[in-house]
Amino acid sequence: MSQSMLRTSLLLRLLVKATWVRRDRALTGLLSIVVVATMATVGLTVYADLNAKMNREFRGFGANVMVAARNEGAPGAFTDADAAKILNSLNGKGSGAVVHYAIARGASGVPVVVGGADLKALLQLNSWWSLTRADADILVGARAARILSPNGAPFQIAYNGRTLDIKPDAIFRSGSEDDSRIYINAGAFAQFVGSPSPSPMVQVRLEGTSQQTAELIARLSSEFPEASVKPIRAVTETQASVLDKTRAVVLAASSIVVVLIVLCMVATLTGSVLERRKDFAVMKALGASDGTVSLMFAGEASMVAGVGGIVGFMLGSAIAWWIGQANFGSAITPHPALLAPVVLGSVVLALVASSAPLRLLRRIQPAVILRGE
Amino acid sequence: MFARLLFESFRRQRRRKLFALVAIALGMSLSTAMISVATDIGDKINRELRSLSTNLVLTPAEAGLDVTIGSNTFKPEGQDKAFIPESDLAKLKGIFWGHNIVGFAPFLSDTKKFTGPGGDFTARLTGTYFDQPLQYGNEKFSTGVKSVNKSWKVEGEWPSDGGDDALAGASLAQKDNLHPGDTLQLADRRLRIAGILTTGGAEDDSIVAPLHFVQAAMAIPGAVQRVAVSALTKPEDAFARRDPAGMSPEMRDRWYCSPYANSIAFQIHEALPNVQVDQVRQVEQNQGKVLSRISGLMLLLTVAALIATALAVSAVMAGTVIERRQEVGLMKSLGAGNALVASLFLAEAALLAIAGGLTGFAGGVFLARYIGQSVFGSAIVVAPVVLAIVVIAALLVAAAGSATAILKAMRFDPALVLRGDA
Repeated sequence: MSQSMLRTSLLLRLLVKATWVRRDRALTGLLSIVVVATMATVGLTVYADLNAKMNREFRGFGANVMVAARNEGAPGAFTDADAAKILNSLNGKGSGAVVHYAIARGASGVPVVVGGADLKALLQLNSWWSLTRADADILVGARAARILSPNGAPFQIAYNGRTLDIKPDAIFRSGSEDDSRIYINAGAFAQFVGSPSPSPMVQVRLEGTSQQTAELIARLSSEFPEASVKPIRAVTETQASVLDKTRAVVLAASSIVVVLIVLCMVATLTGSVLERRKDFAVMKALGASDGTVSLMFAGEASMVAGVGGIVGFMLGSAIAWWIGQANFGSAITPHPALLAPVVLGSVVLALVASSAPLRLLRRIQPAVILRGE
Repeated sequence: MFARLLFESFRRQRRRKLFALVAIALGMSLSTAMISVATDIGDKINRELRSLSTNLVLTPAEAGLDVTIGSNTFKPEGQDKAFIPESDLAKLKGIFWGHNIVGFAPFLSDTKKFTGPGGDFTARLTGTYFDQPLQYGNEKFSTGVKSVNKSWKVEGEWPSDGGDDALAGASLAQKDNLHPGDTLQLADRRLRIAGILTTGGAEDDSIVAPLHFVQAAMAIPGAVQRVAVSALTKPEDAFARRDPAGMSPEMRDRWYCSPYANSIAFQIHEALPNVQVDQVRQVEQNQGKVLSRISGLMLLLTVAALIATALAVSAVMAGTVIERRQEVGLMKSLGAGNALVASLFLAEAALLAIAGGLTGFAGGVFLARYIGQSVFGSAIVVAPVVLAIVVIAALLVAAAGSATAILKAMRFDPALVLRGDA
């Protein structure tokens, strides 16, 4: 075996043995690094996944994009086929519902807006509607029911000579202008209104960040020039604002936690190096140079820090996974890309923590330390 | 004697004590900040949500159907005669939860024919408050779309409530070539366009003018068709969803005294009996979910941070005691019993904990204020009870950390320790 290989294997054996012999002191140092690495990993992992998790929570706000004909009644207008194409092009990045509207007449000529749509898709998108009855073919808005059928009796609406009987047993409350409308199945609507069918409107919920939504809107606008694709600003702005603020708070809190705990831990690590001043003095007395001794201490510290960083990363990822499950109902998956920075940070922390006491010890004569002063 | 030992210990080992104090203070300021952020974030996000949209809508009880598709309104022949009296609006501040009413904006609309610089056009004319000063009893306040609809963006200037300036919706302005400074003629009245309005909603196709102007133009003074109200509410839970009519008197009082959207709606209806109050369910139903997720996340992060802090601080305390095992050995060899030695160290730890807890709390208040100011533009409130929690936590953690180290130090043979071999 060559000289350098011998030296390296001896060094490694020294490091491992030194740590093993003082294992409960080394354990304190390890514990300190593990705590820091864990908190750093938890903070970073949660922050990285926060966008995705929070965007899911905003799904309940419903449609964030409205697609309608740019020019009502103009030739080459937005057709049902176009609307269907838009829904198909979403594939997984969102969901939507196509609605047609017409103005029918109730008893004594009262005008009422009637909408035709796939009711299941519509209710999924507008999840906040409170229904008196699930799975009905005709949904009557609360205000429409109050005015057109004050006693709950069935009533009739008419459009262009055709009539439709409405039994108001599924009444919904939304707190918006939908409360004045009656929604029926797309098929029934087509039969009731006949042709020409009114221009469709598409309510779309696009998933993703505000930037992804903007890009998708731009793409849809260019693909379908006869349609006007507009973001529903009340929803998109609320989502963006709340998300930004939440991310800022999580980042600020995590940074403060990591910084303050690092400061606490530097204290502990410094103390553990000073504790070993006798070992330091013995090595110097035996003839080791300052550089060799520092290398040994740094080597030990790095080894412990490396192990601590890895353990902390695993523990932190587990905690983040659990936080995701407990709070969002879907686990936050570990980010392997964070392992390298966490381990590197731990090693740097350990080296910085040991550099100050080492400099201090170098100035003192070994004999003084060995005497016990 | 005990007091003198304690005092001398602090006087002679100032640096070591300061070091432990700083560690405790850091840990406690972190705890203070995290606890305060976790408890206040729900309120901060609630206000953020409230400022962007309104959550209650008032309409006259006898109002007819709203015949709108997109931004087009179809008025039936014969005008809808049901209105809310404008003079009743200030009463909103007088309900039990009046202080939770952040603001409101009344609306009155009609389709009108305008003559602009590019010719004639027909568009919706909507009247509202921009920032109208009002008074209820002795309370003066101002309210309007500027404060309750922060998502309304104006390019140019906001009109004043008493004048004849108006805003032109962005889509309308583009279609009919309107710009700030243009004058519109409406029958025998004039309107000056002060700015272009972008909302993303129906107002983009309307002319928005002061309420009093529109009331005069429609010859119905003091009338309002719809009021959008922004109220700070507590998210709906199982208790809120119960029917108040079927509740016992104590339950009903509890319901009435909680700012649920439906109890506030009930109180508004009490104050204004001819008004139908509806929750804007899209906002109300979902905000509770979003808020609970965010609060839950911060709570879990806080718990993790507090555990980490406890470990860090107790490690530092244990370290300081172990460093002083020679003192322990000396005291024991001079005849001190275990109890005396332990109580001396614990007393030191207690004093450090109280001092560290107090300074840490002060630091934490600054941290929390800084986070609040930089993220939300308003300071995060730190409840005084957090001071008690933090000092008690500091005492527990310092005691626990010292205790384990003291036990270990006492097991060493005094002779070995004094020799320097342990």
